[in-house]
Amino acid sequence: MRCEAILLALLLGQPPVSGPASATAALSVSVGSHGRVSFTSLTLVFPNANPDQVPVVPAAPAAIAVAARARTPPNAQVTLTVQAADDLRSGTTTLPASLIAWEATGPGFVPGTLSRDEASLVATWTGSGVHAGSQQYGFQNSWSHPPGTYSVTIVYTMSMP
Amino acid sequence: MVVLAVAVPGSAATARAQRLDLSISPGVIAIPTADPDVMPAVSSAPVAVNYRIRQNNRQAWLLTVQANGDLESGASTIDIAAVSWTATPSPPFQNGTLSKSMAQTVASGTGNVAAPSTGAITFTLANSWTYDAGLYSQTLVFTLSTP
Repeated sequence: MRCEAILLALLLGQPPVSGPASATAALSVSVGSHGRVSFTSLTLVFPNANPDQVPVVPAAPAAIAVAARARTPPNAQVTLTVQAADDLRSGTTTLPASLIAWEATGPGFVPGTLSRDEASLVATWTGSGVHAGSQQYGFQNSWSHPPGTYSVTIVYTMSMP
Repeated sequence: MVVLAVAVPGSAATARAQRLDLSISPGVIAIPTADPDVMPAVSSAPVAVNYRIRQNNRQAWLLTVQANGDLESGASTIDIAAVSWTATPSPPFQNGTLSKSMAQTVASGTGNVAAPSTGAITFTLANSWTYDAGLYSQTLVFTLSTP
């Protein structure tokens, strides 16, 4: 009888175990669409050259690395285009922007020809991610081009939903 | 019965069950969107954890959090481990990373927290270009317990 009483005392020495307390919270994360494109060079130069020896003048630098970052809804198409703001211009003398064309390397990148009138496709991808490639621009040389220093601004546009 | 009264150390009050109180505010923890290049990590506003522990008789207590799954937006998901937190004051609070498979310790201590106390937790998402755009959500379960 004495042993039973002591055992009971030890058990009561610990607080009875209660259930844990819980609370819930909803974690809400907004992931919006964003896009960003960057280039290793913002200036291209086509040096003077003899048309017979260099019918297509490569640009300097020879290649422009393009890094396109896009965050889109699932499976959405992302396109990168380029368009000339004008024809090549040297004072009042002009040459068609379409004299400039490019080759391309990298997943999704395609070759093309510059245009003043419409955007030309540079690359296309599906979905979010970081995409890298390069363009190698060339200028169609000709004896008929009037001498001068010509320039034009080209505008890249990345589009996505 | 006289033997019983003498053998029990402490008072009758220590024989009562622990009283654990816990609440989280706000109930919706929002992490906003941002350009990953501009903000590689995106954080919520501080979340208040209100807790109180009574009649614990010098025993350990533990506050944990566990996600019910990854962040989900339709068929798109973001690994819940991309969300970490910083918490104050330390101690008893500690920093950590969310998990869907195991409860993670948010705070721990011993004995009672007699007065209602508050900790602050700020959740942070490791931002990335690889996420699908969308509004993601998941439930977090906070549990305050004693062994």
